Amino acid sequence: MSWLLRRNMLPLHSNSLARRPLASPPPLLPAPLPSPRETHLWYVVPDQLKDASLLNQYMDLLSPCERQSVLRMNGERLQKGALLARALVRTTLARYTDCRVSPKSFKFRKNRFGKPEVEWNKYDLWAPPPLQFNISHTSTMIACGVALDLPIGVDIEEKQRKTRNNILSLARRYFSPVEVAYLRTLADLESQRHEFIRLWTLKEAYVKALGRGFSGAPFKDFTIRLEASNSKQVTGESKSDASRIVVEAVDHPGILMNRWHFALFELNNSHYAAVCMERDVKDPDRENNSLKLEVWRTLPFVEDECVTETAAVKNIIR
Amino acid sequence: MASISGTAIATFARPQFAARAQVVKGFSGLKSVSFSIQRNGFPSVRLQPAPRRFQVSCAQAKPETVQKVCEIVKKQLALSDDTPVTGESKFSALGADSLDTVEIVMGLEEAFEISVEEESAQSITTVQDAADLIEKLVEAKSS
Repeated sequence: MSWLLRRNMLPLHSNSLARRPLASPPPLLPAPLPSPRETHLWYVVPDQLKDASLLNQYMDLLSPCERQSVLRMNGERLQKGALLARALVRTTLARYTDCRVSPKSFKFRKNRFGKPEVEWNKYDLWAPPPLQFNISHTSTMIACGVALDLPIGVDIEEKQRKTRNNILSLARRYFSPVEVAYLRTLADLESQRHEFIRLWTLKEAYVKALGRGFSGAPFKDFTIRLEASNSKQVTGESKSDASRIVVEAVDHPGILMNRWHFALFELNNSHYAAVCMERDVKDPDRENNSLKLEVWRTLPFVEDECVTETAAVKNIIR
Repeated sequence: MASISGTAIATFARPQFAARAQVVKGFSGLKSVSFSIQRNGFPSVRLQPAPRRFQVSCAQAKPETVQKVCEIVKKQLALSDDTPVTGESKFSALGADSLDTVEIVMGLEEAFEISVEEESAQSITTVQDAADLIEKLVEAKSS
Protein backbone atom coordinates (compact mmCIF):
# COMPACT_ATOMS: atom_id res chain seq x y z
CA MET A 1 0.00 0.00 0.00
CA SER A 2 1.47 3.35 -0.92
CA TRP A 3 1.78 5.59 2.07
CA LEU A 4 3.24 8.61 0.47
CA LEU A 5 0.58 10.55 -1.37
CA ARG A 6 0.65 13.82 -3.13
CA ARG A 7 -1.61 16.18 -1.33
CA ASN A 8 -4.41 16.43 -3.82
CA MET A 9 -4.75 12.97 -5.14
CA LEU A 10 -6.34 9.75 -4.10
CA PRO A 11 -5.72 6.58 -6.10
CA LEU A 12 -8.24 6.02 -8.87
CA HIS A 13 -9.74 2.66 -9.63
CA SER A 14 -10.01 0.95 -12.97
CA ASN A 15 -13.52 -0.23 -12.18
CA SER A 16 -14.92 3.29 -12.08
CA LEU A 17 -18.61 3.68 -11.67
CA ALA A 18 -20.53 5.29 -14.49
CA ARG A 19 -21.16 8.78 -13.21
CA ARG A 20 -17.82 9.26 -11.51
CA PRO A 21 -16.57 12.82 -11.41
CA LEU A 22 -13.35 13.40 -13.30
CA ALA A 23 -11.76 15.49 -10.58
CA SER A 24 -10.22 13.86 -7.55
CA PRO A 25 -11.91 14.70 -4.28
CA PRO A 26 -10.56 17.79 -2.57
CA PRO A 27 -7.98 17.25 0.15
CA LEU A 28 -9.12 16.62 3.67
CA LEU A 29 -8.56 19.30 6.23
CA PRO A 30 -5.59 18.00 8.21
CA ALA A 31 -5.91 18.22 11.95
CA PRO A 32 -3.29 18.64 14.66
CA LEU A 33 -3.07 15.70 17.01
CA PRO A 34 -5.20 15.73 20.15
CA SER A 35 -3.36 16.55 23.35
CA PRO A 36 -3.31 13.86 26.06
CA ARG A 37 -6.47 15.08 27.77
CA GLU A 38 -8.32 15.82 24.62
CA THR A 39 -10.94 14.03 22.63
CA HIS A 40 -11.60 15.06 19.07
CA LEU A 41 -15.06 14.22 17.90
CA TRP A 42 -16.06 14.31 14.25
CA TYR A 43 -19.66 13.77 13.29
CA VAL A 44 -21.62 13.49 10.07
CA VAL A 45 -25.34 13.94 9.55
CA PRO A 46 -26.45 11.50 6.82
CA ASP A 47 -29.36 13.70 5.76
CA GLN A 48 -26.91 16.39 4.73
CA LEU A 49 -25.56 14.11 2.05
CA LYS A 50 -27.55 14.63 -1.12
CA ASP A 51 -24.94 13.94 -3.76
CA ALA A 52 -24.88 10.38 -5.06
CA SER A 53 -21.43 10.81 -6.57
CA LEU A 54 -20.15 11.51 -3.07
CA LEU A 55 -21.41 8.10 -2.01
CA ASN A 56 -19.37 6.61 -4.82
CA GLN A 57 -16.30 8.45 -3.61
CA TYR A 58 -16.85 7.11 -0.12
CA MET A 59 -17.41 3.58 -1.40
CA ASP A 60 -14.08 3.85 -3.12
CA LEU A 61 -12.30 4.35 0.18
CA LEU A 62 -13.48 1.08 1.64
CA SER A 63 -11.75 -2.27 1.64
CA PRO A 64 -13.50 -5.04 -0.32
CA CYS A 65 -14.57 -6.60 2.98
CA GLU A 66 -16.08 -3.36 4.20
CA ARG A 67 -17.88 -2.90 0.93
CA GLN A 68 -19.44 -6.33 1.23
CA SER A 69 -20.52 -5.59 4.78
CA VAL A 70 -22.14 -2.35 3.71
CA LEU A 71 -24.06 -4.09 0.95
CA ARG A 72 -25.25 -6.75 3.36
CA MET A 73 -27.07 -4.18 5.43
CA ASN A 74 -30.81 -4.44 5.10
CA GLY A 75 -32.02 -1.65 2.82
CA GLU A 76 -30.66 1.54 1.32
CA ARG A 77 -30.88 3.70 4.42
CA LEU A 78 -28.88 1.25 6.54
CA GLN A 79 -26.40 0.76 3.72
CA LYS A 80 -25.84 4.50 3.46
CA GLY A 81 -25.33 4.70 7.22
CA ALA A 82 -22.85 1.85 7.20
CA LEU A 83 -20.98 3.38 4.28
CA LEU A 84 -20.82 6.78 5.93
CA ALA A 85 -19.54 5.22 9.14
CA ARG A 86 -16.60 3.60 7.39
CA ALA A 87 -15.91 6.71 5.33
CA LEU A 88 -16.01 8.81 8.49
CA VAL A 89 -13.53 6.60 10.33
CA ARG A 90 -11.12 6.47 7.43
CA THR A 91 -11.21 10.15 6.53
CA THR A 92 -11.05 11.24 10.17
CA LEU A 93 -7.98 9.16 10.94
CA ALA A 94 -6.29 10.27 7.73
CA ARG A 95 -6.47 13.88 8.87
CA TYR A 96 -4.08 13.12 11.71
CA THR A 97 -1.34 11.67 9.54
CA ASP A 98 -0.18 14.91 7.96
CA CYS A 99 -1.33 13.67 4.54
CA ARG A 100 0.95 10.66 4.66
CA VAL A 101 -1.77 8.04 4.86
CA SER A 102 -4.80 8.23 2.60
CA PRO A 103 -8.22 7.24 3.91
CA LYS A 104 -8.14 4.28 1.59
CA SER A 105 -4.84 2.97 2.90
CA PHE A 106 -5.90 2.35 6.45
CA LYS A 107 -6.07 -1.17 7.71
CA PHE A 108 -7.96 -2.26 10.76
CA ARG A 109 -7.93 -5.20 13.08
CA LYS A 110 -9.73 -6.24 16.21
CA ASN A 111 -8.21 -6.54 19.63
CA ARG A 112 -8.83 -9.87 21.29
CA PHE A 113 -12.16 -8.66 22.63
CA GLY A 114 -13.30 -7.40 19.29
CA LYS A 115 -12.60 -3.68 19.59
CA PRO A 116 -11.50 -2.25 16.25
CA GLU A 117 -8.11 -0.58 16.12
CA VAL A 118 -5.75 0.75 13.47
CA GLU A 119 -3.17 -1.60 12.06
CA TRP A 120 -0.36 0.60 10.87
CA ASN A 121 2.03 -0.30 8.09
CA LYS A 122 5.72 -0.14 8.86
CA TYR A 123 7.23 3.14 7.81
CA ASP A 124 10.96 3.78 7.52
CA LEU A 125 11.06 7.49 8.07
CA TRP A 126 7.90 8.26 9.96
CA ALA A 127 6.37 7.10 13.20
CA PRO A 128 2.60 6.94 12.88
CA PRO A 129 0.77 8.65 15.72
CA PRO A 130 -0.75 6.19 18.20
CA LEU A 131 -4.33 7.07 17.35
CA GLN A 132 -7.16 5.55 19.30
CA PHE A 133 -10.65 5.86 17.95
CA ASN A 134 -14.21 4.74 18.53
CA ILE A 135 -17.37 5.23 16.53
CA SER A 136 -21.04 5.30 17.32
CA HIS A 137 -24.08 5.85 15.22
CA THR A 138 -27.76 6.38 15.15
CA SER A 139 -29.90 6.60 12.04
CA THR A 140 -29.44 10.36 11.97
CA MET A 141 -25.81 10.83 13.00
CA ILE A 142 -22.48 9.07 12.97
CA ALA A 143 -19.71 10.14 15.32
CA CYS A 144 -16.04 9.23 15.50
CA GLY A 145 -13.94 10.09 18.51
CA VAL A 146 -10.16 10.24 18.32
CA ALA A 147 -7.63 10.35 21.12
CA LEU A 148 -3.87 10.09 21.25
CA ASP A 149 -2.56 6.91 22.80
CA LEU A 150 -5.35 6.59 25.36
CA PRO A 151 -8.35 4.31 25.09
CA ILE A 152 -11.55 6.07 24.20
CA GLY A 153 -15.20 5.17 23.99
CA VAL A 154 -17.95 7.18 22.30
CA ASP A 155 -21.69 6.73 22.30
CA ILE A 156 -24.44 8.86 20.84
CA GLU A 157 -28.17 8.52 21.12
CA GLU A 158 -31.09 10.50 19.73
CA LYS A 159 -32.59 12.71 22.40
CA GLN A 160 -36.04 11.74 21.23
CA ARG A 161 -35.40 8.03 21.29
CA LYS A 162 -38.37 6.17 22.67
CA THR A 163 -38.10 2.81 24.30
CA ARG A 164 -40.67 0.07 23.84
CA ASN A 165 -40.25 -1.09 27.36
CA ASN A 166 -40.97 0.93 30.45
CA ILE A 167 -37.93 2.95 31.51
CA LEU A 168 -37.80 1.65 35.06
CA SER A 169 -38.23 -1.93 33.85
CA LEU A 170 -35.26 -1.47 31.55
CA ALA A 171 -33.27 0.17 34.31
CA ARG A 172 -34.08 -2.54 36.83
CA ARG A 173 -33.01 -5.15 34.34
CA TYR A 174 -29.81 -3.55 33.13
CA PHE A 175 -28.68 -0.73 35.40
CA SER A 176 -27.12 -0.77 38.85
CA PRO A 177 -29.27 -0.27 41.97
CA VAL A 178 -27.86 3.24 42.53
CA GLU A 179 -28.78 4.22 38.99
CA VAL A 180 -32.26 2.78 39.30
CA ALA A 181 -32.74 4.66 42.56
CA TYR A 182 -31.66 7.87 40.84
CA LEU A 183 -34.11 7.39 37.99
CA ARG A 184 -36.89 6.72 40.45
CA THR A 185 -36.37 10.14 42.03
CA LEU A 186 -37.51 11.70 38.76
CA ALA A 187 -41.27 12.07 38.94
CA ASP A 188 -41.66 13.25 35.37
CA LEU A 189 -41.69 10.43 32.81
CA GLU A 190 -40.01 12.56 30.17
CA SER A 191 -37.17 13.47 32.52
CA GLN A 192 -36.83 9.82 33.38
CA ARG A 193 -36.55 8.92 29.73
CA HIS A 194 -33.97 11.62 29.05
CA GLU A 195 -31.87 10.64 32.04
CA PHE A 196 -32.09 6.99 31.09
CA ILE A 197 -30.77 7.80 27.62
CA ARG A 198 -27.97 9.94 29.03
CA LEU A 199 -26.96 7.26 31.48
CA TRP A 200 -27.10 4.70 28.73
CA THR A 201 -24.69 6.67 26.56
CA LEU A 202 -22.31 7.11 29.49
CA LYS A 203 -22.36 3.41 30.30
CA GLU A 204 -21.89 2.46 26.68
CA ALA A 205 -19.02 4.90 26.28
CA TYR A 206 -17.33 3.42 29.35
CA VAL A 207 -17.68 -0.17 28.16
CA LYS A 208 -16.42 0.79 24.73
CA ALA A 209 -13.45 2.63 26.21
CA LEU A 210 -12.63 -0.44 28.29
CA GLY A 211 -12.60 -2.38 25.06
CA ARG A 212 -13.57 -5.69 26.54
CA GLY A 213 -16.96 -6.04 24.90
CA PHE A 214 -20.37 -5.85 26.50
CA SER A 215 -19.82 -8.98 28.57
CA GLY A 216 -16.45 -7.71 29.80
CA ALA A 217 -18.18 -5.04 31.83
CA PRO A 218 -21.85 -5.88 32.37
CA PHE A 219 -23.92 -2.77 32.87
CA LYS A 220 -25.26 -4.06 36.15
CA ASP A 221 -21.82 -4.29 37.71
CA PHE A 222 -20.92 -0.61 37.66
CA THR A 223 -22.53 2.70 38.55
CA ILE A 224 -22.01 5.98 36.78
CA ARG A 225 -23.10 9.04 38.68
CA LEU A 226 -22.31 12.62 39.48
CA GLU A 227 -20.00 13.26 42.36
CA ALA A 228 -19.53 16.62 44.05
CA SER A 229 -16.15 17.88 43.00
CA ASN A 230 -13.46 18.51 45.60
CA SER A 231 -11.58 20.95 43.45
CA LYS A 232 -11.50 24.48 44.67
CA GLN A 233 -11.79 27.44 42.37
CA VAL A 234 -9.12 30.12 42.09
CA THR A 235 -10.80 32.26 44.75
CA GLY A 236 -10.51 29.44 47.26
CA GLU A 237 -14.21 28.71 47.33
CA SER A 238 -15.57 25.61 45.73
CA LYS A 239 -18.44 26.09 43.34
CA SER A 240 -21.55 24.66 44.86
CA ASP A 241 -22.66 23.05 41.63
CA ALA A 242 -19.25 21.76 40.59
CA SER A 243 -19.49 18.05 40.06
CA ARG A 244 -17.93 15.42 37.94
CA ILE A 245 -19.01 12.18 36.38
CA VAL A 246 -17.53 9.17 38.11
CA VAL A 247 -17.71 5.42 37.77
CA GLU A 248 -17.53 2.85 40.55
CA ALA A 249 -18.00 -0.88 40.82
CA VAL A 250 -21.27 -1.96 42.41
CA ASP A 251 -19.27 -4.33 44.62
CA HIS A 252 -17.00 -1.53 45.84
CA PRO A 253 -19.14 1.56 46.25
CA GLY A 254 -17.26 4.70 47.15
CA ILE A 255 -14.08 3.49 45.51
CA LEU A 256 -14.04 5.52 42.34
CA MET A 257 -12.41 4.11 39.26
CA ASN A 258 -10.34 7.19 38.72
CA ARG A 259 -8.62 5.84 35.69
CA TRP A 260 -11.49 7.11 33.54
CA HIS A 261 -12.90 10.51 32.85
CA PHE A 262 -16.07 11.43 31.02
CA ALA A 263 -17.88 14.10 29.12
CA LEU A 264 -21.61 14.16 28.50
CA PHE A 265 -23.16 16.78 26.26
CA GLU A 266 -25.81 17.61 23.71
CA LEU A 267 -24.80 17.47 20.11
CA ASN A 268 -26.48 19.22 17.19
CA ASN A 269 -29.58 19.72 19.33
CA SER A 270 -30.58 16.23 18.32
CA HIS A 271 -28.36 13.85 20.26
CA TYR A 272 -26.86 13.09 23.61
CA ALA A 273 -23.20 12.20 23.32
CA ALA A 274 -20.92 10.60 25.86
CA VAL A 275 -17.17 10.27 25.72
CA CYS A 276 -15.09 8.18 28.08
CA MET A 277 -11.34 8.40 28.00
CA GLU A 278 -8.57 6.94 30.08
CA ARG A 279 -6.73 9.50 32.15
CA ASP A 280 -3.15 10.24 31.21
CA VAL A 281 -0.92 8.72 33.90
CA LYS A 282 1.82 11.18 33.00
CA ASP A 283 -0.38 14.09 33.98
CA PRO A 284 0.56 15.11 37.54
CA ASP A 285 -2.84 16.65 38.13
CA ARG A 286 -4.78 13.90 36.47
CA GLU A 287 -7.25 13.42 39.29
CA ASN A 288 -8.68 16.87 38.84
CA ASN A 289 -8.17 17.67 35.23
CA SER A 290 -11.23 17.19 33.16
CA LEU A 291 -11.51 15.93 29.64
CA LYS A 292 -11.12 18.53 26.89
CA LEU A 293 -13.34 18.34 23.88
CA GLU A 294 -13.03 19.56 20.31
CA VAL A 295 -15.91 18.85 17.95
CA TRP A 296 -16.23 19.12 14.19
CA ARG A 297 -19.23 18.63 12.00
CA THR A 298 -18.09 17.16 8.71
CA LEU A 299 -19.18 15.99 5.33
CA PRO A 300 -15.90 14.42 4.19
CA PHE A 301 -14.46 16.03 1.07
CA VAL A 302 -17.19 18.66 1.10
CA GLU A 303 -17.01 20.67 4.28
CA ASP A 304 -15.73 20.72 7.81
CA GLU A 305 -16.90 23.01 10.54
CA CYS A 306 -15.43 23.29 14.00
CA VAL A 307 -18.45 23.53 16.28
CA THR A 308 -16.77 23.32 19.66
CA GLU A 309 -17.70 26.76 20.92
CA THR A 310 -21.08 26.86 19.21
CA ALA A 311 -24.62 25.94 20.12
CA ALA A 312 -24.08 22.58 18.43
CA VAL A 313 -22.22 21.45 21.54
CA LYS A 314 -23.91 22.36 24.77
CA ASN A 315 -24.72 21.42 28.33
CA ILE A 316 -21.37 19.78 28.78
CA ILE A 317 -20.94 17.80 31.99
CA ARG A 318 -17.59 16.25 32.76
CA MET B 1 -13.21 -10.91 7.34
CA ALA B 2 -16.53 -9.67 6.15
CA SER B 3 -18.58 -9.74 9.30
CA ILE B 4 -15.75 -8.39 11.39
CA SER B 5 -15.65 -5.35 9.14
CA GLY B 6 -19.41 -5.25 9.28
CA THR B 7 -19.47 -5.22 12.99
CA ALA B 8 -16.75 -2.61 13.10
CA ILE B 9 -19.21 -0.23 11.56
CA ALA B 10 -21.46 0.18 14.51
CA THR B 11 -20.92 0.11 18.23
CA PHE B 12 -18.54 -2.71 18.79
CA ALA B 13 -20.06 -3.58 22.13
CA ARG B 14 -22.39 -5.89 20.33
CA PRO B 15 -23.29 -9.47 20.94
CA GLN B 16 -21.28 -10.88 18.09
CA PHE B 17 -17.97 -10.19 19.77
CA ALA B 18 -18.69 -12.15 22.88
CA ALA B 19 -17.44 -15.68 23.13
CA ARG B 20 -20.01 -18.08 21.87
CA ALA B 21 -19.18 -20.38 24.70
CA GLN B 22 -22.15 -22.64 24.56
CA VAL B 23 -21.39 -23.77 21.07
CA VAL B 24 -17.65 -23.98 20.88
CA LYS B 25 -16.66 -24.87 24.42
CA GLY B 26 -13.14 -26.09 24.62
CA PHE B 27 -12.19 -24.58 21.32
CA SER B 28 -11.22 -21.22 22.68
CA GLY B 29 -9.24 -20.49 19.57
CA LEU B 30 -12.43 -20.50 17.55
CA LYS B 31 -14.34 -18.10 19.73
CA SER B 32 -13.08 -15.03 18.04
CA VAL B 33 -13.58 -16.32 14.53
CA SER B 34 -17.01 -17.91 14.67
CA PHE B 35 -19.40 -16.10 12.34
CA SER B 36 -16.51 -14.35 10.73
CA ILE B 37 -16.74 -16.10 7.40
CA GLN B 38 -19.73 -15.04 5.41
CA ARG B 39 -20.40 -16.50 2.03
CA ASN B 40 -22.88 -14.95 -0.36
CA GLY B 41 -25.59 -16.72 -2.21
CA PHE B 42 -26.55 -19.49 0.21
CA PRO B 43 -29.33 -17.97 2.24
CA SER B 44 -30.81 -21.31 3.14
CA VAL B 45 -27.62 -22.60 4.69
CA ARG B 46 -26.61 -21.62 8.20
CA LEU B 47 -23.47 -19.60 7.62
CA GLN B 48 -21.11 -21.13 10.14
CA PRO B 49 -17.48 -21.98 9.59
CA ALA B 50 -17.57 -24.47 12.47
CA PRO B 51 -18.53 -28.00 11.42
CA ARG B 52 -22.01 -29.09 12.39
CA ARG B 53 -20.86 -31.65 14.92
CA PHE B 54 -19.82 -28.94 17.37
CA GLN B 55 -23.37 -27.72 17.54
CA VAL B 56 -25.09 -30.90 18.61
CA SER B 57 -25.95 -29.34 21.95
CA CYS B 58 -27.87 -26.54 20.26
CA ALA B 59 -30.68 -27.98 18.16
CA GLN B 60 -32.48 -25.82 15.64
CA ALA B 61 -35.60 -24.13 16.87
CA LYS B 62 -39.09 -24.76 15.57
CA PRO B 63 -40.25 -22.52 12.72
CA GLU B 64 -43.01 -21.08 14.94
CA THR B 65 -40.41 -19.90 17.44
CA VAL B 66 -38.33 -18.33 14.69
CA GLN B 67 -41.46 -16.66 13.36
CA LYS B 68 -42.34 -15.23 16.75
CA VAL B 69 -38.80 -13.90 17.19
CA CYS B 70 -39.02 -12.28 13.76
CA GLU B 71 -42.22 -10.54 14.82
CA ILE B 72 -40.70 -9.21 18.02
CA VAL B 73 -37.59 -8.03 16.20
CA LYS B 74 -39.61 -6.30 13.48
CA LYS B 75 -41.70 -4.56 16.11
CA GLN B 76 -38.70 -3.37 18.11
CA LEU B 77 -36.86 -2.10 15.05
CA ALA B 78 -40.04 -0.68 13.51
CA LEU B 79 -39.44 -2.55 10.28
CA SER B 80 -42.11 -2.53 7.61
CA ASP B 81 -44.09 -5.71 6.97
CA ASP B 82 -42.37 -6.31 3.68
CA THR B 83 -38.86 -6.12 5.16
CA PRO B 84 -37.50 -9.66 4.90
CA VAL B 85 -36.55 -11.02 8.30
CA THR B 86 -35.59 -14.66 8.56
CA GLY B 87 -33.63 -16.93 10.86
CA GLU B 88 -30.46 -15.90 9.09
CA SER B 89 -31.01 -12.21 9.66
CA LYS B 90 -28.32 -10.60 11.74
CA PHE B 91 -29.50 -8.04 14.24
CA SER B 92 -26.73 -5.67 13.26
CA ALA B 93 -27.66 -5.88 9.59
CA LEU B 94 -31.23 -4.97 10.53
CA GLY B 95 -29.95 -1.84 12.21
CA ALA B 96 -30.25 -2.95 15.82
CA ASP B 97 -27.97 -1.14 18.22
CA SER B 98 -27.17 -2.27 21.75
CA LEU B 99 -30.28 -0.68 23.26
CA ASP B 100 -32.44 -2.38 20.61
CA THR B 101 -30.80 -5.68 21.42
CA VAL B 102 -31.55 -5.45 25.13
CA GLU B 103 -35.10 -4.40 24.36
CA ILE B 104 -35.47 -7.35 22.03
CA VAL B 105 -34.17 -9.66 24.75
CA MET B 106 -36.68 -8.20 27.19
CA GLY B 107 -39.44 -8.63 24.63
CA LEU B 108 -38.45 -12.26 24.14
CA GLU B 109 -38.33 -12.88 27.89
CA GLU B 110 -41.83 -11.54 28.20
CA ALA B 111 -43.24 -13.39 25.22
CA PHE B 112 -41.76 -16.73 26.14
CA GLU B 113 -41.76 -16.33 29.92
CA ILE B 114 -38.09 -17.05 30.24
CA SER B 115 -35.10 -15.35 31.78
CA VAL B 116 -32.05 -14.72 29.66
CA GLU B 117 -28.69 -14.28 31.34
CA GLU B 118 -26.41 -11.42 30.35
CA GLU B 119 -23.77 -13.74 28.89
CA SER B 120 -26.26 -15.66 26.77
CA ALA B 121 -27.90 -12.45 25.59
CA GLN B 122 -24.56 -11.21 24.32
CA SER B 123 -23.97 -14.27 22.19
CA ILE B 124 -27.12 -13.76 20.13
CA THR B 125 -26.32 -12.32 16.74
CA THR B 126 -29.05 -13.71 14.50
CA VAL B 127 -32.75 -14.39 14.79
CA GLN B 128 -31.95 -18.09 14.68
CA ASP B 129 -29.58 -17.73 17.66
CA ALA B 130 -32.36 -16.10 19.63
CA ALA B 131 -34.88 -18.78 18.70
CA ASP B 132 -32.47 -21.59 19.58
CA LEU B 133 -31.68 -20.02 22.93
CA ILE B 134 -35.36 -19.50 23.69
CA GLU B 135 -36.22 -23.12 23.06
CA LYS B 136 -33.32 -24.24 25.19
CA LEU B 137 -34.51 -22.06 28.06
CA VAL B 138 -38.15 -23.06 27.63
CA GLU B 139 -37.15 -26.69 27.69
CA ALA B 140 -34.97 -26.21 30.75
CA LYS B 141 -37.85 -24.49 32.49
CA SER B 142 -40.33 -27.27 31.84
CA SER B 143 -38.01 -30.13 32.72
